[in-house]
Amino acid sequence: MNAKGTRILETGTVVGLLGIVTTLVVFGRERFWVNWVVWLLFVLTAGLGCFFIVALEHLVGARWSVPLRRVPERLSSLVIVMAPAVLLGLLSLPHLYPWTKPESLQDPVVAGKAVWLNIPFFAVRAVLCVGLWLIAYRILVSGSFRQDREKDPRFNVRARRFSPVFMVIFALTITVLAFDWISSLEPTWYSDIFGVYLFAGTFLAGLSATTLALVYLMNRGKLQEVTPDHVYSLGGFLFAFTVFWSYIAFAQYLLMWYANLPEEVVWYQERLQGMWGPLVLILALFHFFLPFFILIPRDAKSDPKRLCVVAVLMLVSHWLDLYWMIFPAVGKSPLFGWPELSFALLFICGGLLWVRHAMTFGADMPVGDPLLQEGLEFHL
Amino acid sequence: MHKPAFSILGLFDSAQALMDAIPIVKCGMPAATIETYTPYPIHGIEKVLGRRRSPIAGMVLVMGVIGALAGLGFELWTSGWDYPLTTFGKPPWSWQAFVPIMFEVTVLFACFTAGLGMLFLLNRLPMFRHPMLRSKSMPHITRDKFALAVEAEGQPVDVDAITAVLKGVGAISVEVIEQPAPSGPISPNFVLRAFGAIVVSCAVAAGLTYWAIKLFPVSAPMSHMLDQPRLDPQREEGFFKDDFGMRLPVAGTVARGYLPYTIKNQDDAASLTNPLPGTASVMQQGRQLFNTYCSPCHGLLGNGQPTLTAAYGAKPANLVSQTIRDYPDGKIYHTIMAGKNAMPGYPAELTQDERWAVVHYVRALQRSQNAKDLDIPKEIK
Repeated sequence: MNAKGTRILETGTVVGLLGIVTTLVVFGRERFWVNWVVWLLFVLTAGLGCFFIVALEHLVGARWSVPLRRVPERLSSLVIVMAPAVLLGLLSLPHLYPWTKPESLQDPVVAGKAVWLNIPFFAVRAVLCVGLWLIAYRILVSGSFRQDREKDPRFNVRARRFSPVFMVIFALTITVLAFDWISSLEPTWYSDIFGVYLFAGTFLAGLSATTLALVYLMNRGKLQEVTPDHVYSLGGFLFAFTVFWSYIAFAQYLLMWYANLPEEVVWYQERLQGMWGPLVLILALFHFFLPFFILIPRDAKSDPKRLCVVAVLMLVSHWLDLYWMIFPAVGKSPLFGWPELSFALLFICGGLLWVRHAMTFGADMPVGDPLLQEGLEFHL
Repeated sequence: MHKPAFSILGLFDSAQALMDAIPIVKCGMPAATIETYTPYPIHGIEKVLGRRRSPIAGMVLVMGVIGALAGLGFELWTSGWDYPLTTFGKPPWSWQAFVPIMFEVTVLFACFTAGLGMLFLLNRLPMFRHPMLRSKSMPHITRDKFALAVEAEGQPVDVDAITAVLKGVGAISVEVIEQPAPSGPISPNFVLRAFGAIVVSCAVAAGLTYWAIKLFPVSAPMSHMLDQPRLDPQREEGFFKDDFGMRLPVAGTVARGYLPYTIKNQDDAASLTNPLPGTASVMQQGRQLFNTYCSPCHGLLGNGQPTLTAAYGAKPANLVSQTIRDYPDGKIYHTIMAGKNAMPGYPAELTQDERWAVVHYVRALQRSQNAKDLDIPKEIK
């Protein structure tokens, strides 16, 4: 990226920063914090998705992805960047979450959940999640960077032993993230599958970010040894999980639609009426139909151009997904204006600046990993 | 002099050696048909061989879409159009409920197309006695060697030259596979055996069916509707306190179409008047009901002389007699309702309106058989 691009990103970040301050002053705290939560989760889940890809490779002992592993490793630093944002996000609790208000306890459902939904425990969980991610980052990612220099094969053993533990941590924290930050916006609502739903979006966001960063690096002449077979495997993942996301999303909807229980359907009722309806169609189109049909041909899965189109679609629709889940809790119809624009500017430009910086962490490939050669020789 | 060759087979040690040899052989013999046999699929080999892309992907896509549409169409037809059922209070055209079926049918069609299409359409299986199966290299090809075959398929080729070429590109051994004697798949022997197989299968199937029908206990088909708890008419049921299955109307209510009839004798009924107009449709209804319920005893003309009388033993009333003609409508109505002498009442068979329609028709019968000059239409006078 040239100096002009840098200037644009920096300007965008500064304008966005000013914008969110004006949002806080002009539009009030609710509008500020609801945007904060959406963007916090967007960037955080993109990072966590990359983190998951890294851990998945260690868990199953995959070889093909070793040459690509540095890309999701670098991107998972987004989790660390967003850690302060998570803690700052705790300030949103009294403004956004109805269960923080004493009168909400008159509802027997909310009162029944009070053991879980109270500010101290919520904060403890948030801090615990962040702490666990930091520890996991040190073991899985920092260890990998250190291996570049020390060429210590024992890292692989450590990573392989730790990755099952990470999977448990990941499953629990992503569920806590979904239940705490999203579904507790409407504390009377129930959905057991909600954590899996957020995981599906998270993994897709991680894959998309990895794909985009990989193509960015390859366009800059790096990672020359990466073959179309590697790219094809990544594209295959992206293809498979578009279906997974739709399956989970529809499964959640279908069960609630069938049972038609008032405490469940109200969530969908709010999110399907008025202008939210067309938005859901766009979501289905961007999150499933377009990526699915674009990626069906075999060549598409190893074609960087088409993969980038799908990755951008995925990220846009992942944001739309979060927007669709979170915003109806504060407004009857979709809000889009200066606050949303300025948050987008700040987080996209700031995020891209960070990602570009992160792309210089360590070597471009895990050069100390003894499995690298096997990964480079990977053929379909 | 060799026998006609089916192919000349060169064995290679690695997939890479095979892939490297293909372009050289193709270059040296542009007209030759080249085939490869490998222990596992090698990605990209179809490009080196210059094969066209297999149509299987397109077939699967098309059949998948057809499957989705078939699932949707079948659901719409059965649940929405042919037999609209309201389940869970949802409208019959609920697309949400159709999606799982659509998904399953899509997957079913796509999988069957991929599997069966590959085996039967593209690979033309079943194919017995492929010449390659006689090759001595076959155990190696299925295990650790990679074969390149220049296929002659019986055409005269220079076997020695091809052998030299294959050796030249690094084949570790070369084998000439003979062209088998031509024998079509449908020989008399094959037809006889196929026919025998069909006859034997039919016999076995018939025997099994007989055995299954005779020896297996016959279980009732789905009888949940019979088994469910319910109230039967005219039966003792424990559901209500008084053990009656049938209920009396709630006190102070009247069932729709069943007005209470409180008149006890004919004289009181004289005051009733016929509420129905004597229109053609009422007359027609009256005639039909009269012919059904009254004519067996009173006769089609109402004159008390039906064919049944002798066997019946009683003497039904002559409805067109002066006595009955002098009756007010209400008295005739009451007779239908409550009966008279040997005649039973017909309150269950006829509704109120139907009884009045019969009264109209009886009046018409009386008048038709005692017509005055006035009743004759002018044009036939």
